[in-house]
Amino acid sequence: MTAVTLSRWQRLRQSDLWHSFVRDKVAMLSLLVFVLMVCAALLAPLLAPTNPYDLAQINIMNSELPPMGSAGSDPAFPLGTDAQGRDMLSTILYGTRVSLLIGFGAVVLQSVLGILFGLLAGYFGGRVDAILMRIADVQLSFSTLMVAIIVGAVFKASFGNLMFGDIAVYLLIFIIGVAEWPQIARTVRASVLAEKKKEYVDAARVMGFGARRIMFRHILPNTLSPILVIGTVQIANAIISEAALSFLGLGMPETQPSLGSLIKSGFDYIQSGSWWITLIPGVVLVVLVLVINLLGDWLRDVMNPRLYKG
Amino acid sequence: MSADKAPLVRVRQLEKRFDLSGGLLDQLRFREGRLTRHREYVHAINGVDLDIEPGEALCVVGESGCGKSTVARTVMGLLSPTAGEVHYEGQRIDNLSRAAAMPYRRKMQMIFQNPYASLNPRMTIQQTLEEPIRFHRRDWKPEQVQAKVAEVMASVGIDPDWGKRFGHEFSGGQRQRIAIARALVVDPEFIVADEPISALDVSIQAQVLNLLKEAQDSRGLTYLFITHDLAVVEHFGTRVAVMYLGRICELATTATLFAKPRHPYTQALLSAIPRLEDERPNHIRLQGEVPTPVQLPSGCVFHGRCPYANARCKEEIPRLIATDDGTRVACHGVEEGRL
Amino acid sequence: MALLEVNNLDVRFAVRGGDLKALRGISFSLDKGERLGLVGESGAGKSVAAFAILNLIARPGYIAGGEVLFDGRNLATMKPRELRDIRGHRIAMIFQDPMMTLNPVISIGTQMVETLQAHRRISTADARAIAIDNLRKVQIPSPEKRLDQYPHELSGGMRQRVIIAIALLLEPEIIIADEPTTALDVTIQAEIMALLLELCEQEQVALMLITHDLGVVAQVTQRMLVMYSGRIIEQGPTRDIIHHPRHPYTQGLIKALPQVGEPGTRLYQIPGSMPSLNRVPPGCPFNPRCPFVMERCLETMPDYVRSGAVDVACYEVEDRLAAGKAILEVGQ
Repeated sequence: MTAVTLSRWQRLRQSDLWHSFVRDKVAMLSLLVFVLMVCAALLAPLLAPTNPYDLAQINIMNSELPPMGSAGSDPAFPLGTDAQGRDMLSTILYGTRVSLLIGFGAVVLQSVLGILFGLLAGYFGGRVDAILMRIADVQLSFSTLMVAIIVGAVFKASFGNLMFGDIAVYLLIFIIGVAEWPQIARTVRASVLAEKKKEYVDAARVMGFGARRIMFRHILPNTLSPILVIGTVQIANAIISEAALSFLGLGMPETQPSLGSLIKSGFDYIQSGSWWITLIPGVVLVVLVLVINLLGDWLRDVMNPRLYKG
Repeated sequence: MSADKAPLVRVRQLEKRFDLSGGLLDQLRFREGRLTRHREYVHAINGVDLDIEPGEALCVVGESGCGKSTVARTVMGLLSPTAGEVHYEGQRIDNLSRAAAMPYRRKMQMIFQNPYASLNPRMTIQQTLEEPIRFHRRDWKPEQVQAKVAEVMASVGIDPDWGKRFGHEFSGGQRQRIAIARALVVDPEFIVADEPISALDVSIQAQVLNLLKEAQDSRGLTYLFITHDLAVVEHFGTRVAVMYLGRICELATTATLFAKPRHPYTQALLSAIPRLEDERPNHIRLQGEVPTPVQLPSGCVFHGRCPYANARCKEEIPRLIATDDGTRVACHGVEEGRL
Repeated sequence: MALLEVNNLDVRFAVRGGDLKALRGISFSLDKGERLGLVGESGAGKSVAAFAILNLIARPGYIAGGEVLFDGRNLATMKPRELRDIRGHRIAMIFQDPMMTLNPVISIGTQMVETLQAHRRISTADARAIAIDNLRKVQIPSPEKRLDQYPHELSGGMRQRVIIAIALLLEPEIIIADEPTTALDVTIQAEIMALLLELCEQEQVALMLITHDLGVVAQVTQRMLVMYSGRIIEQGPTRDIIHHPRHPYTQGLIKALPQVGEPGTRLYQIPGSMPSLNRVPPGCPFNPRCPFVMERCLETMPDYVRSGAVDVACYEVEDRLAAGKAILEVGQ
């Protein structure tokens, strides 16, 4: 075979995506930081000096120790400890994991709902479109917070606080996923409407292919670029939503802290001089959201069809 | 071709209009103190009759907005007619369920205008060509499918190496070959070609026309060929239907039409082709512009631009009437012997 | 002296992986009142040539060499301020898409008056009178009413007439028309071309008509250039080239037309397609598709040889002429 057949890696190396990536220092740095954070979070049980979920490893006597470099710090706790004596480094690693899990989980749920409804609305049009998009409008006019408060309150009332702690992660994924799917559905619908006009879709209809095959095999793969862009931004949004909910006490319980609940738990002690309990997880959250958003911006620039295919 | 053979495709009194008025709320108008519902339509086709004989290449010609593409899409079932019927081998097909229409989806195929949009950008050429076979011939073994793809690729001049590549890696002419191959892999009998060469460069147009001709000869295909280019018709078509504002104004064999155009619009259209032997433009000058298909003129749709129109043309819709040389013309002037 | 003289014009586009040569040293001239056709397939460099003449090549493209002499002055090196005085004023341009020229939110009258006032000290009333006069010249019915209309209220054919009227406003010496009728229907195209031809004859304006349609070139122009991959491969009197094309590409282009072939038979076809700019082969760019290709064709680009009144760049033609033999025809 000649140079015609290329491996996937070679294809990637020759693509515009790769080309613009290696020229964009911001995108490269963002991806590096993001990958590092994801790896650290995934490997938290291995990397973390202690397990913050294990009450046996926590000593209340170690509470509110400042991070390294400050007077009274303990070298065993490089980032200090929180009010319960948990090692901040370990809690942040575990907390990042929870935040990322909720962020990704919520976006997966959003995407499944958004792609499904977006495809249906865009492809069938007419009544189906009108009904689905009105539902989306109604959904968007509720804020995420309101949905969370209602669902959370109903749940806590019926199952109690203990049970709530066990399934809080799934509940948050559900809440954020359901609250935000219209964003993706609208994007998908818009690109389905654009793709539907193209003749390859007519060609598929002429072949007698059914609606399902045309939607999922022919149209969906061609709408993936905008989904990828909005999906990336939505991960950052979901992480912020989760942090906001946890900060308001509607999210993760303190026994399984996410970055948001860490910030909240430290907030009570900020007046007493224990700034690190809030600040360090806050910085981690900001950096995480920032790099995801920067990656999303870069993707949007690269995949903007007008710039990209022109 | 014997005259008593039944037509392969028969189109009867086909009408298609598109609703422009939008949703119910957009339709409501407040006029003279009363709330009325106001609707507007584009009358794309207004009563078209066509018989397509087996083995012929029937060309439909006309300018933009005359409804020629709508005819093609309605025949193929991409649009459902507002009124009228489409028959294939004597069977009415425009009202069939998806399952009942499936055999016709294989027998009738279509080639599109824009080769840059008619191939799925995310599928390789091999996938594009295999999918229709797998779909229509569920009992075929993979080797059979591949053999069929290889056979069609060879017959349309596609290098087998292209299979692993994607549509965007090819030029317009190559893509149109691939699109033709996709139509041919399911062994159709009838192909609708909707302006298949108008997006291509001059030197490539000849390649694609030759390819369509070869495919017709070797596979016994019947074509419905939609085009705005009369020069192509002269070369390619066995019969020509000239359309204007959703109606057929003249239907004739190609040789007769070019030798003796009867309808004033056909005459104007023919004279407007820029020919190599011309020293200057020598077209018949028409008055006015093509009216919109939203508000169709009364009577003959061409009367506003026709130099020979009289009072009857403004009132009465002319029917297609056969003349002595077999040409069918919808013109009062021709019928009355004025022209 | 010719009104416009293009010498060895070289235009390149800087892209990643090096420069793409869009024009490879083209030379031609245009006399006062002459009508010149520029023929070629998409990507041959026709439009680039038009833009380069007006020094309108935008980045990443640039003029890499050569000169465009208009009235003895080189437009390729002229300052933007001086260029403005020539563009639209002494050399007008008509595009395929009328909306390139027309502003959709300004009425036609205002656009015409502003164009006039930008180049001349003239009262609005006088400018309107000239505008109406010009609209009448392009056979637009009731021009007084049209002045207050917006571009979207007109049909495609009417818009192109307005564009021609605007192009003629400042009494240019040259009109460059880039595929002016490609988007229009045949009957409208015929009317616009006839109008353009009549006006150019009446006002003694030189016309450079860029098109892919050989029929239109035959009807309208006196001289023509055939372009291929950024080169002019043949130029001379239109009738001469249409009836006796010398270059194998020009021959193939004409023979491939359905109107030339015998109805119902196989058309002559040029194999392959024009290479994209980054894949132009060395030597004569037409060599992969040429039936007469020789070793020399693969190495160097042929120079122009004269055959009658026609200049043609082809080794095969050169050899035949030198030997005093008739030029070969493709497909025989």
